[in-house]
Amino acid sequence: MRRTAPISLIIVLLFMGSASAGINVVATLPWIGSMVAEVGRDKINVTVLVRPGQDPHMVEARPSMVLASRKADMIAYNGLDLEIGYLPILIESSRNPAIQPGKAGNFDCSRFVSVLEKPASVDRSMGDVHPLGNPHYHLSPRNMKSIVVGIARGLGEVDPANAAFYRANGTSLVKMIEERQKMWTNKPLKGKKYLTYHKFFEYLASEYGFEIVGYIEAKPGIPPSSGHIEGLMELSKRVRLDGILTTSSSPRKAPDFIAGRTGLKVIMLPQDVGAVPGAVDWFSLMDLIIAALS
Amino acid sequence: MKRLILIPLFVCLACSGSFASDIESRVKAMEDILKKQQQMIDAQQKVIEQLKGELEATAKKQETLTVAEKPASPGTGPKPSGASALFGGSFMTNPYISFILDTNFYSSSINERELANRGIPGYSNLGFEQKKGFNLTAGELFLFAPVDPYFNLYATIPFTENGASIEEAFFLTTDLPQGFQVKGGKFKSNFSRLNAQHPHTWDFADLPLAYRAFLGGEGLIEKGAQLTYLPGLPFYTILGMEVLQGENEVIFNKNATGGPHGFTGFVKQSIDVGDYSTLLFGPYAMGGQTRTTTVANGAFFRGNSQLYGFEAVYKWKPSKYKSLIIQGEYMVRKQDGTLSNALGAASGLTRAQDGAYVQALYQVDRWRFGARYDRLSIFNSEYDLGGVDRQFGPAPWRATGAVELNLSEFSRLRLQYNYDRSGGDGKTNNEVYLQLILGIGAHSAHAF
Repeated sequence: MRRTAPISLIIVLLFMGSASAGINVVATLPWIGSMVAEVGRDKINVTVLVRPGQDPHMVEARPSMVLASRKADMIAYNGLDLEIGYLPILIESSRNPAIQPGKAGNFDCSRFVSVLEKPASVDRSMGDVHPLGNPHYHLSPRNMKSIVVGIARGLGEVDPANAAFYRANGTSLVKMIEERQKMWTNKPLKGKKYLTYHKFFEYLASEYGFEIVGYIEAKPGIPPSSGHIEGLMELSKRVRLDGILTTSSSPRKAPDFIAGRTGLKVIMLPQDVGAVPGAVDWFSLMDLIIAALS
Repeated sequence: MKRLILIPLFVCLACSGSFASDIESRVKAMEDILKKQQQMIDAQQKVIEQLKGELEATAKKQETLTVAEKPASPGTGPKPSGASALFGGSFMTNPYISFILDTNFYSSSINERELANRGIPGYSNLGFEQKKGFNLTAGELFLFAPVDPYFNLYATIPFTENGASIEEAFFLTTDLPQGFQVKGGKFKSNFSRLNAQHPHTWDFADLPLAYRAFLGGEGLIEKGAQLTYLPGLPFYTILGMEVLQGENEVIFNKNATGGPHGFTGFVKQSIDVGDYSTLLFGPYAMGGQTRTTTVANGAFFRGNSQLYGFEAVYKWKPSKYKSLIIQGEYMVRKQDGTLSNALGAASGLTRAQDGAYVQALYQVDRWRFGARYDRLSIFNSEYDLGGVDRQFGPAPWRATGAVELNLSEFSRLRLQYNYDRSGGDGKTNNEVYLQLILGIGAHSAHAF
């Protein structure tokens, strides 16, 4: 009897993955992990792969991420090719049938989103343009509402026993988003004009009526030339700008240089949950961003 | 094993059985749920329609895309992406295809005829295939697609000036339970750190001396089958074994018949050190039957080989703009058999030789700087021919420095210098590579 205890423990370890209760969800990005946790509460365990300050395009597929995917009942990701550099290999190396493409455990948040900037034609001379459209859709409350409903449904498919619980949480989260939206839409953002480093804020701009009139990146993923920066400074003389938007994962040098020469202020926005201490979930992330803009 | 898998299955069956009694009420509940879901979907659809209208209006306001204030091209209105594509990526009716051009300009302080014959005495008589001046290493066609829900298929077809070959063409299983995976076809063995990497992803223009000496300049590419197992342990551990036809001309038998006679086994473990650092390490072993003419000119060796090794990698990548990789491997190869010369006179040969390399790569923005030190005969340099131990002069070694400019993820320009003292003749080979690698087509994911 005493002998069998450790043996059965090993069996449990080997075959159950993690011994804790509830289903295991792996989320690529912090906001996804945070939203999934809000919907699933104590019924799920969430592991987030990408750190808040990291550029979500360029992440190493670390073996520990493969291991987390191996134990997952669901992998939830951003999609639109954002994670193309590491997600396919994670899913394949996970050796986990439950999260392969086409399975309920393979959850692509972008399925629930209306996509902006889907280019009619793309080639790489344009830089790292996403052929499926702009993948940074998480700062859009409208999109977030349908994503939350999608997450609730997706969790219900993976864990039917708790489907009603997830649906109820999803519904109350949608209500919460609507509540906050009333507050956010009252902020005076309409008609403001900004430069940004990377195409991080297009969804926010289209929803709150401010404009992004120039990009510090010459092309997505391609750093600016001095001529390009000159052009931006020319632009700032012609158009009254309200600031330069950037995130912690983008280089500071060029925005600071332009700010120094033009007197514009650089507005550092957290790009994801956890990027700054106050951004504990998606709601506080949005609060911080809207506050910084107004 | 089978029984272990069955136990959880029984448990599941037992659980579901207990619900059979009140199936009616459950069906009713399910119907209610479906109704509610339908209502929700309808509501969603409304939201999306409303969204479409609003966004089309803003799209008409036109986004300024560039400094030149060009209007956005028409037709960029929002479309719900609807169905999901593979990995949330591009739709996959055709395979992912990419083409990689690997080309270089090579110069050396040694003349070309000497280079072609410059082996590593006591290790291998294989010379350099590099020509001085312009070289087209390969134009590599890469194909990938899922076959069905059970298999993924990969193929790498390098085109050279002498024609095309199938460097790799293998399947990988995706649906085996419990962390098992089978690979089969023709593939680069996963036994060491560098072997499975394609030349265009190498950290330097060439492989370390230990690979050249023990496996030849391309490493181990074989027809065969591989089984790997990733248990759900608290930290990453992967166990793998391979059965290979054994056609490598250095360690196996170029004209292998009646195979398979090459075998490998490996363990790789990994732990994270904080948010941005990763360690990967593990031992490996391989062995098999050897029939080769690469030991020395005009001599034929028949016998058996074993190779044991250890890999260790440390990676630090705090952001897209900075990274450091420190990596090393140690290998020892043992061979036992007979060496017969052109006249057929045979004598027993026992070799036990080792080699190692250590390298570091530091990336800052679009630049990457690399340094590598290679050495053979570190602790073992036994070469016992007919009971007499032969030595071949000072231990072969090499020092390498490289600088890369990676303008985007799809282009790499590398300048590399080798100070090479592996020829055993006391001559230094000062080599310089200027290498250009360009890739078009699908964005491939990068293995760690």
